[in-house]
Amino acid sequence: MTDKPKTVIIGTDGVPFEMIEHFAQTGVMPNTARLIADGTFAKMQSSIPEVSSVAWSSMITGANPAEHGIFGFIELHPNSYRMRFPNYNDVKAPTFWDKRDGKSVIINVPSTYPVRPMNGVLISGFVSIDINKSVYPPDLVPTLQSFDYRLDVDARKAHQSMDLFLEDVEATLQGRIKAYRYLWDYCDWNTFMLVFTGTDRLLHFLWSAYEDKNHAHHAAFVDHFRKIDEVVGEIAGKLTDDDLLIMHSDHGFERLDHEVFVNYLLAENGFLQFKQDTDPALENICPDTKAFALDPARIYLNLKGKYPAGNVNPAGAETILDEIEDLFTEFQIDGRKVIRDVYRKADIYTGPYIESAPDLILVANAGFNLKGKIGADALYSKGIFTGKHTQDTAFLLIKGPHNPEKLPNPPKVSDIPAIFM
Amino acid sequence: MSSALSHLDKLENQSIFIIREAYSQFRDVAMLWSIGKDSTCLLWLVRKAFFDRIPFPCLHIDTGYKFKEIYEFRDKYAKEWNLDLLVARNEEAIAAGMGPDKSKFNCCNELKTVALKQAIAKHGFKALYLGIRRDEHGIRAKERVFSPRDEDFEWDYKNQPPELWDQYKTKAAEEEHIRVHPLLGWREIDIWEYVKRENIPTTSLYFAKNGIRFRSIGCETCCGPVASEADTIDKIVEELKTTNISERSGQAQDKESDYMMQKLRSLGYM
Ligand SMILES: [Zn+2]
Repeated sequence: MTDKPKTVIIGTDGVPFEMIEHFAQTGVMPNTARLIADGTFAKMQSSIPEVSSVAWSSMITGANPAEHGIFGFIELHPNSYRMRFPNYNDVKAPTFWDKRDGKSVIINVPSTYPVRPMNGVLISGFVSIDINKSVYPPDLVPTLQSFDYRLDVDARKAHQSMDLFLEDVEATLQGRIKAYRYLWDYCDWNTFMLVFTGTDRLLHFLWSAYEDKNHAHHAAFVDHFRKIDEVVGEIAGKLTDDDLLIMHSDHGFERLDHEVFVNYLLAENGFLQFKQDTDPALENICPDTKAFALDPARIYLNLKGKYPAGNVNPAGAETILDEIEDLFTEFQIDGRKVIRDVYRKADIYTGPYIESAPDLILVANAGFNLKGKIGADALYSKGIFTGKHTQDTAFLLIKGPHNPEKLPNPPKVSDIPAIFM
Repeated sequence: MSSALSHLDKLENQSIFIIREAYSQFRDVAMLWSIGKDSTCLLWLVRKAFFDRIPFPCLHIDTGYKFKEIYEFRDKYAKEWNLDLLVARNEEAIAAGMGPDKSKFNCCNELKTVALKQAIAKHGFKALYLGIRRDEHGIRAKERVFSPRDEDFEWDYKNQPPELWDQYKTKAAEEEHIRVHPLLGWREIDIWEYVKRENIPTTSLYFAKNGIRFRSIGCETCCGPVASEADTIDKIVEELKTTNISERSGQAQDKESDYMMQKLRSLGYM
């Protein structure tokens, strides 16, 4: 290991500012508390939409979606309603490790699958499928397997049994910690990034356990954060005052009151129609359709020439967008407004890929989780999930040489690379 | 078993026909030998086609990052088979320190593509034999046996009127070079059955050690092993029969999409 100053980034997927603050104050995360006392601690804006693929792509490239090209977990094939899943090959802006001198070790960043050669080590995160495409250099695969390294928590287990799920969350964390310890001394790096994603999985299924001290899984929930704090302490202990340590989340979380199905409202108001006697699926929409949504709340006009059953002429587009905007602005459930903001693509995105952006993007008020599911049987419902992402309550914690004055207020997730580049 | 043999005989005959025809048309040719199983099979067929006296060079693109087994294998058989071996290296890029740890995208380009271009320019090759197979990768699906790059029709190699060869020849003058793919119709399993039948030597990297083996080999830094217990040719053939999902095939892509959908669904993203 050389004595050059190092940059270390610890990512915690989905952890909200208030939760870090709370665990720091209540002694669950004492090491993090020390960093807060000695560093800069701020509430941070996630990307829009606030899903991991978009947020992490923005974080690692320092760019907005119209520059890096990732707008969600799902896209459609060109001139078709068939879904595809963008991955690292679709990220069109260079990552900080592409641009930075020296070696980088990058562990479990979402949206980096399948890996490609880089200067250092890259182990991809969500959604990684095949271990042989998730690890660079590939000769690390057997070593990682010997640690029982798991690419991701198997969230399907939560749908079977919370105990099985919690076991998997714990095993995944332990494998991740072993990998980080092994790779810390593996090569002479300048930048080390370790991301924990079990936090997001816990928050989706067990936000209720966080809020309720009597919940059967409250202790397990808190314990997971205690373990992460131990790693934070271990890493902080290896660094000098000249090194930079950044800890952050990609988006925040809060209690989920209602899942709200955007396509249901569009269909109820005549903007979206399916052919008679067919399953509600995008492939089956009728040419009368004016607009549809992809998860979470990205609304696309059914434009003529762009889609097989497209019928919206560019001349009529603005009127339809206004109608849809009015519909969602006024939309209420139990007397509460569901939508915080309705954006046109040009309001929030700038860059060469803006044409691929949705025409309207919705951000919800607290408690409402917007979903792009097609074929929901009600406008809103409550399922297995007890927590939901937030756009404006991610956190950023910086300890080491940096200039807090230069940080935008509030910082955005895409501002992170500028701190150390 | 007899039908398997005749299947291999048919493939062998077709390939030898293509190899001889292309040579008689172009003369200034070379074959690319990566030392992997496919191009070593091709080399075997080329030796058969010319009765062990190959009238053109074998070109090895050396990035300097190959497995040591590859270099040992190359030198041993170049000597044993009396090959006119040309080794092409982009010395300039190697001297400048180009490597996979230097710049991920540039490495392959500088060390492979540029080295190949340099060799073609230096020796004036009109055509190159390559051991690629159609089942190797989705992007190979549209490849032609005889590929002046942008031609867009299926080449029926036996019923080809001779004028067409001339057409290709004039094309060859404008284009960089013509690629000839005598193994295009072979599948991975055909290669292994042929390797076994002919007793063709292959490097030890293909055979499982400590639970992993390589299905394809190239630069040490860019090649991933797969989990496998297959430590003999028979076991490899058996493995290919039972898995039948190519690591790089379009089928595997569909499987990945299904699995991704499940993962996204389990977190409520769909
Ligand atoms: Zn999440």
